[in-house]
Amino acid sequence: MADFKVHQRDGEGVSVIDLKGYLDAHTAPDLENAFQRLLNDRKFNIIVNCRELSYISSAGLGVFMAFIEDVRKNKGDIKLTNMSAKVYNVFDLLGFPILYEIFKEEQEAIKRFSEQKKS
Amino acid sequence: MPSKPISRRSSSATDLLPLFEYSTIVNSSLDLNFILGTVLLTVMGKMLVPRGLVLLKRETGDFEVVNAKGIEPETVGATVRITKSLRRMTYTDRLNKSDPWVAFFRSKQQRLLVPIMAQGRLVGLLTLGERMGGKKYSETDRQLVNSLVNLSAAAIEKAVMIEQLREVNRDLARKFQELNTLFDLSKEFNVVLDTDKVLRLLAFSLMGQIGVNRYAFCLAEHGKLRVIASRLDQAFGSEDLLKPLCSIRNSDLVENLARSKRFSLVARELQRADIAAVVPMKIQNEVKGVVLLGEKLRGGPYTKTDLEFLYSLANLAIISIENARLFQEGIEKQKLEDELAIARDIQQGLLPRRLPEMPGFDVAAVNIPSRQVGGDYYDVIQISRSEYIFAIGDVSGKGTPAALLMASVQASLRAFAPMALSLTEATGRINDLTCLNTGHDKFITFFWGALDAETRQFRYVNAGHNPPFLLRAGGEVERLDIGGIIIGFLKTQTPYPEGSVTLNSGDVIVMFTDGVSEAMNVNEEDFTEQRLEEVLKNSRASSAEHIILDVRRALEVYTRGTPQSDDLTMLVLKAI
Repeated sequence: MADFKVHQRDGEGVSVIDLKGYLDAHTAPDLENAFQRLLNDRKFNIIVNCRELSYISSAGLGVFMAFIEDVRKNKGDIKLTNMSAKVYNVFDLLGFPILYEIFKEEQEAIKRFSEQKKS
Repeated sequence: MPSKPISRRSSSATDLLPLFEYSTIVNSSLDLNFILGTVLLTVMGKMLVPRGLVLLKRETGDFEVVNAKGIEPETVGATVRITKSLRRMTYTDRLNKSDPWVAFFRSKQQRLLVPIMAQGRLVGLLTLGERMGGKKYSETDRQLVNSLVNLSAAAIEKAVMIEQLREVNRDLARKFQELNTLFDLSKEFNVVLDTDKVLRLLAFSLMGQIGVNRYAFCLAEHGKLRVIASRLDQAFGSEDLLKPLCSIRNSDLVENLARSKRFSLVARELQRADIAAVVPMKIQNEVKGVVLLGEKLRGGPYTKTDLEFLYSLANLAIISIENARLFQEGIEKQKLEDELAIARDIQQGLLPRRLPEMPGFDVAAVNIPSRQVGGDYYDVIQISRSEYIFAIGDVSGKGTPAALLMASVQASLRAFAPMALSLTEATGRINDLTCLNTGHDKFITFFWGALDAETRQFRYVNAGHNPPFLLRAGGEVERLDIGGIIIGFLKTQTPYPEGSVTLNSGDVIVMFTDGVSEAMNVNEEDFTEQRLEEVLKNSRASSAEHIILDVRRALEVYTRGTPQSDDLTMLVLKAI
């Protein structure tokens, strides 16, 4: 079975989750745990960097849905960056761009977070 | 300010150049919205009209507003059913005002309806309001409008087709994604045997695929639905209200259910909890559960495709949940069987392997445990050169607890028997000890006696046990019934009195448990102590072992065709 890895980096006021490999029903619980840890640590400004994400299934997308409310309730957000065209297609097909901010580069998402903090 | 060069071209030529540019622009684009916007704006600009609409003919035959200028943007998306064949330009004030579609255009102050034709087919409609300054549309104006529209018709049709293709492609991609999701889950469900995990994966998949984040999963139990996992803002008032959903056949919208008599009540409850769709989870046409879903987060109603997909997903999940349940049940059953096997081992281990030999007496015993492991017990112990203890008992309950209680009685019996205690005292102590170790629901009917093989005296205490038979050689039958209440029920208040008999040659004591007297025939009638007594009377001249054989034979004949329901134990002591 294809590998999936979640790695967390903490920047200034922002936590970045790097996803790598296949995110499907089998690996979705790994991402779920990662989000849960962030919430437990009260880290609500979350960027998910999808540079090395090669596949995402509906179950994988569902994990984002499961946490977005809690995160936004705490004045944070989950923003997505660096998606491959293939992964973006799935997000787009299922209408996620309406619900999530998606950026080309991680830096843009960081900038957006700092703008939002100011406003 | 530099002055513009004055054009010397004729007015018709100035009209033609932009027309050419317009045609090039419109026909080089495949973007329907851009084309329609350009057409509309160009016509409005030429005619000085501040309000205009573009409508496209949909597959249903209805016309949908796709572009609106100078009219509230909400008009886009509205559909109009046009009941007249419009093949040429028409003024709305020459149409029947009471037709709803005419009224629609008039309400938007649209005066001129221009059909958009492509290869002789009507593909859409461009409509225009009054011209600024109240100018009329002249014949030339109308020709120009017609040319502008007709020049774009082919481009519009091409763009519509491309849009349709794009939509078909998107539908295909969505279907593909749905299949992928089902495949992804079925793969994962196959290896998961844990209901909670199955439900979590199911939740993720529908949140991701459908874009919903309010849901509840209910499983059917004894004809009711029980909510086993949910993510709702408001819990249901009562799970009983969900009961009618046990008979739902297909995925459906709550708003549809509200219109049916059978479901209107449950639909109201669902609407109160913001549930929009109900999906049954079925195995072989039986509803094993339902998935309840809230509104889609990205907006829009549930489509037929959504409901079909959810139906497949839910049925995939329920099979996995059912498998998990069966697996769990299998484990439980195995556990129970293991426990029974342990109990049986304990019980069998407590019974004497060999009966002691005693001069002048003939002793035999039998214990046939039932399949379920009851709590019969018997024991024969030599405690001194000439003294022997005989005990028989029946512990309430079955399985390991009964076996353990029996073990504790045996331990105290074996501990107290060799001490220089009277049977009365020892019985009292055994009772007190057992009371300490058990609850009120556990007790033992118990009979024990001490035989002095030299004096041939048999002293005994009967604690609530079926009184053993004493068959005298002369033919009389006595019952050994002196004693007190059952063991383990109440702490000893009054001492257990002791009975005493002297055994002469040919006298037989038959101790037994109710597995003998209450053995049932096919009509569920007990064997009874009377029948036992008859058998014993006839065979008392036989050896101890033969007496037991005779009873077993009689029981076998009596209970033919029924399973043994209880342990069966007998202990026979015969004076030679």
